[in-house]
Amino acid sequence: MVALPGDQAQSAALQTGKARRVYDKTVRTADPVQRERHADCMAAISNERSRPAFSELFDFYAPRIKSYMLRLGASDGEAEELAQDVMITVWQKAGMYDRKQASVSTWMFRIARNRRIDAQRRQRRPELTADDPMLRPPEIEQPETLMARGQLEGIVRSELVKLPADQLLLLQAAFYDGLSHSEIARAFNLPLGTVKSRIRLAFLRLRGELEGAT
Amino acid sequence: MLRETTGIFQSMSASSSNTFSELYAAYGAGCLDPAFTLMVGTQSALRPEIREAVALSEVISGSILETAPEAKLTDGALDRALAAIDMLDADERSSVNAGRAAGEAMEEMLALPEPLRTAALDAVGKTGWQAMGRGLKRLNLNAGSRLETELYRIAPGARIPRHTHAGSEYTLVVAGGFSDERGSYGPGDVVINGADDYHQPVGDEGEVCYALAVRDGGLHFTGMMGFIQRIFGAR
Repeated sequence: MVALPGDQAQSAALQTGKARRVYDKTVRTADPVQRERHADCMAAISNERSRPAFSELFDFYAPRIKSYMLRLGASDGEAEELAQDVMITVWQKAGMYDRKQASVSTWMFRIARNRRIDAQRRQRRPELTADDPMLRPPEIEQPETLMARGQLEGIVRSELVKLPADQLLLLQAAFYDGLSHSEIARAFNLPLGTVKSRIRLAFLRLRGELEGAT
Repeated sequence: MLRETTGIFQSMSASSSNTFSELYAAYGAGCLDPAFTLMVGTQSALRPEIREAVALSEVISGSILETAPEAKLTDGALDRALAAIDMLDADERSSVNAGRAAGEAMEEMLALPEPLRTAALDAVGKTGWQAMGRGLKRLNLNAGSRLETELYRIAPGARIPRHTHAGSEYTLVVAGGFSDERGSYGPGDVVINGADDYHQPVGDEGEVCYALAVRDGGLHFTGMMGFIQRIFGAR
């Protein structure tokens, strides 16, 4: 989220390594119609190897994946290459995507996260060229018993748009940036206990366990 | 970029209503140390509630990605991606085609009559086919003779360059057929060409032609001629 000049006073900026993360109070809502459309695009890629469908997903996701990579400290060139890499992986693995298990953005996020882990590992150990799936989370879901994944997506997304802005920002720091609670406490200038209880509260709401709680 | 993870282990054994911890969030975000990534990955294979905690964390991350700001891409980024997938598809097609062609070639070889089949399979393993031009391949059978012994594979319509022979050449059609200026030959026919004969065989339409050629390469089949003529009959 890009901070507008007027928002500077309200936003907490945080420096970790090379990455500069800016948290502002803007809450955007994702569009469910668009989400269905993206799942249709995945089907068209898988079934017909559709270039227009791929182009549509590229136009939407590649700039967002690049910004995700930049946010986590990649250089502009690295972020661009990783975004390309992710989109080409999406083309290759489209047949493994199951719209009943996950939204396109969740699936796309997993691929982006894992490509970044692979790139970092190659940087540290250049001799390791083959992907090592043991050392990163899986991209493909195991069949689930506890709660249908599609159902989980539905609850999380409907609750997410109702979350107060301050809780959403803490979630972003924890789940998108992967910061520890103490790092978040420093970044937002909050007591550690407050961070823990707010994140826990937000998390329970997203699981549908605290209907209507604030 | 790797996270400090001390002090959050108590959550590893947590269960039921509150299985969430920083560890699973960091795992889902891909910011966990590789050793802990291995551990959480293994734990989540054992415990469905850990899988759920990780899945929930990924849904949150995915939603944030959807609403993330757009970074400007370099010009022509989409075109480069499209070119890359075109290349991937072409590679896939050519490897599928190559695999299919190799399978077909193997089936053809297995259909050859013994003892030629064993000799041909041995030779493929040792020296392999040698391409001689469009639709024409040659396999040196190394029959353990001073005579040259070769198997030809002639695709339908493939043209063998016009040639003469230093000595004599005996050609047995094994499968399919070919034609030259003097006629058409099918399975079982033997064509004999002397040093003075010019000819330009063309593979017949339909089936692929396999032909076994024995050549004296300057040595003459002196003394053997009568024997061969008695068996096949001269043409």
